[in-house]
Amino acid sequence: MSSVVGSEVSHLPELQIDWTRCDGHGLCTELLPDRISLDEWGFPIVHARQVRPTDTVTVRRAVSACPALALRLTTR
Amino acid sequence: MTMTMAARTTAPTPSTAADIWTIGAPRLLAGLDSHGALDRAGHLAVHGPLPDVDLTRLLTLLEGARLAGRGGAGFPLAEKLRALHGSSPNVVVNGSESEPASQKDRTLLRRTPHLVLDGALALAAALGTRRVTVAVHDHLAASAVRAALAQRPDGRRVRVELMGGGFVAGEARALVRALNGGPALPPGRDVHLTDQGVLVANVETFAQAAVLLRLGVRRYGESGTRAEPGTTLLTVGGAVGRPGVVEVPLGTPLGIVLTAAEARDTRAVVTGGYHGSWLAPIGDVGLSRAGLDSAGGSLGAGVVLAVDGATCALGELARVAGWLARESAKQCGPCRFGLPALAADVQALHRGDPRAISDAFRHAGAVDGRGACKHPDGAVRFVTSGLRLLRDEIEMHLRGGCGRPVLSRLPIGAGR
Repeated sequence: MSSVVGSEVSHLPELQIDWTRCDGHGLCTELLPDRISLDEWGFPIVHARQVRPTDTVTVRRAVSACPALALRLTTR
Repeated sequence: MTMTMAARTTAPTPSTAADIWTIGAPRLLAGLDSHGALDRAGHLAVHGPLPDVDLTRLLTLLEGARLAGRGGAGFPLAEKLRALHGSSPNVVVNGSESEPASQKDRTLLRRTPHLVLDGALALAAALGTRRVTVAVHDHLAASAVRAALAQRPDGRRVRVELMGGGFVAGEARALVRALNGGPALPPGRDVHLTDQGVLVANVETFAQAAVLLRLGVRRYGESGTRAEPGTTLLTVGGAVGRPGVVEVPLGTPLGIVLTAAEARDTRAVVTGGYHGSWLAPIGDVGLSRAGLDSAGGSLGAGVVLAVDGATCALGELARVAGWLARESAKQCGPCRFGLPALAADVQALHRGDPRAISDAFRHAGAVDGRGACKHPDGAVRFVTSGLRLLRDEIEMHLRGGCGRPVLSRLPIGAGR
């Protein structure tokens, strides 16, 4: 979903979670502590979905680290 | 193809069948007051022949009448048709009706199957496809559709699939996965069925299309509101004297339906089923998508359940919250762990635990929007709307209880 941030319509890639795959391993929050925290059952809460080009490398590293292949960076 | 000789299959209406009644002139339910079920001859006598339409004409009709899906989401049918990709799409009639209180779809399939088939086959013809599937959970509906297909020259185009599964299995993407031999579970990725060449719509939506093809936009719009023309089917239940499947013009005031259903001492109304909302019994709320939305309710698939003053409403809420938790497909962590936690909070509140209210809203917030399907979102809407409406009841429970028994006014899982 592209969202409106201020006056700027963004088509930046977004972090998404495939909830059917996520087992709550928690690696994502360790690698992206500013973006992702965990709920009381250990499942990720994504605070900042949109990924600016400067952050792409870090985010991609976290995506590929997810043992359940549940964390994704999608473009629309 | 042999045509059957029987003029009327007055199929024995099973004891579980819902009564039917109407406010205003019946359209979908026309002819059903006097017959158990309409066979082909009876159907044609009541409804007349179905006009042939091409895709352009069909889209003009659907857009003119603003025909929206009747399975809950209310998506415009014309938009679904326009979004279809690929040649020879598959037309799927979703008769899962996994909402426990809803009876309207199986009632249509059991009692006026030709109307539903008319709609599905007309859409298929206009789309240039011969692939039509009717998917149902109810075996009586399956037999009624099979019997109806044997009476039609175009009946061989349609296959009937008797599916299993719970609440979530009726979700369109889960249904299509199951039809393709997969699990009856919503997929984890965003999937647009129309991209895959599949048109899924609710049973009533096809019946409405069949009515619209015969009436045309102008006559179709003589019922209903300007924004939402036509009639809708409701399943009315709970604390009422006349439960049943009811056809009403869209926009009919809630109070008129409750009075006609012989509801007494109504304290709350559940609208839209168990993914819907609790609402105060405000008589002039119009039963349309817009009318209910603006009142904080939801039309959903047309379920209207009255909760009276004899039962403990908070206990009713707790029962359904427990059912919603059990109906989680348990694929997605927040739903799997969050809905049982939320249900336990409502139970605790029922027992008078003062901490449970903040726990409930915290757990609800942790579940909402965090699943592959809309089950967590719908369950949260149902529970939180109930908690907001039942403030006085909750207050009583915190002071020792309301003194009323839980009479199970809200059906869960029964009748299937």
